Amino acid sequence: MANIPDMKRDSMNAFGVLVVGTGAIAELHIAALRANPRTRLAGVVDTDPARAAAASHTNGGVRATTDLTEALAWPDVDGCVVCTPNASHAPIATAIAAAGKHLLIEKPMATTTADAAAVVDRFAAAGATLAIAHTHRVYDYSLAVKSALDAGAVGEPTLIRVSMLGGWIWGDWHAWVLDPNRSGGHALHNGVHLLDLVTWWMGARPESVYARGRRQTATELPIYDYLEMILRFPGDKVAHCELSRAHRPGSLAHRDILVAGTEGVLTLPWDGEQSLLFDERGVSALLPTSGSAFVRQLDGWLDAIDGGQPVARGEDGLAAVAMAEAAELSMTTGQPVPITGSRVGVR
Amino acid sequence: MKTVRVLLAGFGGLGAQDHQSAMYAPAFTAHPGFRIVGVAITHPGEAERARQAAVNLSVPCHDDLDTALSTVEAPVVSVAAAAPVRAEALAAVLRAGRHVLADKPFAMTLAETRELAALATATGPSTVTVAHHHRFHPMVTAAASAIRSGRVGLPWNVQADFVVAGGTPCPDGELLNFGCYAIDVVDALTGLGVRRVHALPAGTGLTLLALDHEHGVTSTIVVGRTAELAGLPPGRLTRHRYRISGSHGVLDVDATKPELTVASSSTMARTWLAARTVDRLLDELYATVTTGRDSVVGMPQALRTAEVLDAAQRASTTGAPVAITTWTERRAG
Repeated sequence: MANIPDMKRDSMNAFGVLVVGTGAIAELHIAALRANPRTRLAGVVDTDPARAAAASHTNGGVRATTDLTEALAWPDVDGCVVCTPNASHAPIATAIAAAGKHLLIEKPMATTTADAAAVVDRFAAAGATLAIAHTHRVYDYSLAVKSALDAGAVGEPTLIRVSMLGGWIWGDWHAWVLDPNRSGGHALHNGVHLLDLVTWWMGARPESVYARGRRQTATELPIYDYLEMILRFPGDKVAHCELSRAHRPGSLAHRDILVAGTEGVLTLPWDGEQSLLFDERGVSALLPTSGSAFVRQLDGWLDAIDGGQPVARGEDGLAAVAMAEAAELSMTTGQPVPITGSRVGVR
Repeated sequence: MKTVRVLLAGFGGLGAQDHQSAMYAPAFTAHPGFRIVGVAITHPGEAERARQAAVNLSVPCHDDLDTALSTVEAPVVSVAAAAPVRAEALAAVLRAGRHVLADKPFAMTLAETRELAALATATGPSTVTVAHHHRFHPMVTAAASAIRSGRVGLPWNVQADFVVAGGTPCPDGELLNFGCYAIDVVDALTGLGVRRVHALPAGTGLTLLALDHEHGVTSTIVVGRTAELAGLPPGRLTRHRYRISGSHGVLDVDATKPELTVASSSTMARTWLAARTVDRLLDELYATVTTGRDSVVGMPQALRTAEVLDAAQRASTTGAPVAITTWTERRAG
């Protein structure tokens, strides 16, 4: 078995991180890596040589390659951050586990429950840390909700409503997200954020999901750009997850949260986090300067490598994939679908 | 303004509700177009309340509805009979050819609602107005008008929340108690019949409804009652909102507004400025009675609401969505 890197090192020998996939999300991960004194960007990998070269150039000439195997053999790579298209996550994670490196992987950790379970097993066998980038857990709003719920502010939560609405951001018909073979569909691509959040807040695993999807922007869309996933938990508890990239105007950015519990109600409405700007174009939202979710997430991963717990474990990523797969099936059949395949309880 | 005489029939409802005393009598009294001329007892359990109301209003109290109908000359009867005798009371008033203001829920079951609908058609031309007063919230009426004129394009989704905090839980369940209000507002906003319903209970007082409408429109409604909340009188709405997403825009209606908040060192008071929804309901009733037109919240709305509630109750029990097999076609226009 490969020698598993640890976190005990001095400032001259920071934890080397390989970033695999150099798209938009990678920039957020890289910014967090470069800001953290515990880490060093060890190199970048992208299947597109031009993008790999551009990422290298942007990041001070760091090593770049199109070959993951080559990069995993570099001597100062201790861990990897993966932000490639979804369907490539499982095979890349498998290679990283075989190389004995730690992994922080973007959601969804895989596009099937079977693949996700296999990845969890491989990292357990390798003794390396697996963390899933369910970044929404460490946004300011989410931490505030979790903190209030943990303090018993509303008693026991019984109904959670989360809506994340926005307009079209996926480019044109060639965008990889629109190809269900590459993205796994919208429930897997971004639905997992909401599914993970509500189960984390509810403190329970759902029994079934009833989902409705819409091909709103175009009837020929291969994926649903708007979806509602209704989770049913034991003991008459319900979570409603609403996710949209179909809203118009495209400038819309609504995040709306309601948690009703046995003793109270928690709300973070869509106009609770943003300023309104009235100008010649009309009214738009002015989002506050964003906080440090990617920094927190990175710290959580590093702490986990040092023996703690990551923000979201492999088991949490697996549970989210299982929920999302069941949701996709529910959208096709029009019936509630039991959720199976996640093997452990929620943390 | 021509004055229309009104008989108040029944001082009961679901559980211990007495909307006749709490809502309709005060609204009829305040409305310049109506004059209450008598009350009738429809169930022994409400006799005391009926007699007290009669004293307060300085009108005669009749010991039963049949006597009142044959004695009192009033073209309008406000029916808020106790649950066990509600359908029977409505039937008596319809057979007597009177205009009806019907407390919600119109009847306790879909079957009863259908029988009364058939009776109303047979006994016509008097009108039925169901007390779904929340559709007369000024923000709801403005929203409905904006939607009809295309301000959001073609609506494709509605998200609704109708959540009351505190107050006496309804022994018949909050879905039957409040569901009609929220379902009716969604109907007022979209005008689209419901084809399929799924319902999931949440906690002891809430239900999440997932409705599939005509033209592929979907809606989701959270309705019911939560714990009492500080700073809010028990039984007041804590969350009342409708978000309508359309092909070309989004309309977000917070129906807990408009609200006047006054705070001082000793107190904070929140006054809901749209509290005149029952007055506006009576404006609608007055218009239908004096012009003979159908009510915008009449028998078809009572039927559609009852169909959705019935399907929701079945879905909630079986755990699977239920199709509404005899959904009502709305008149064009």
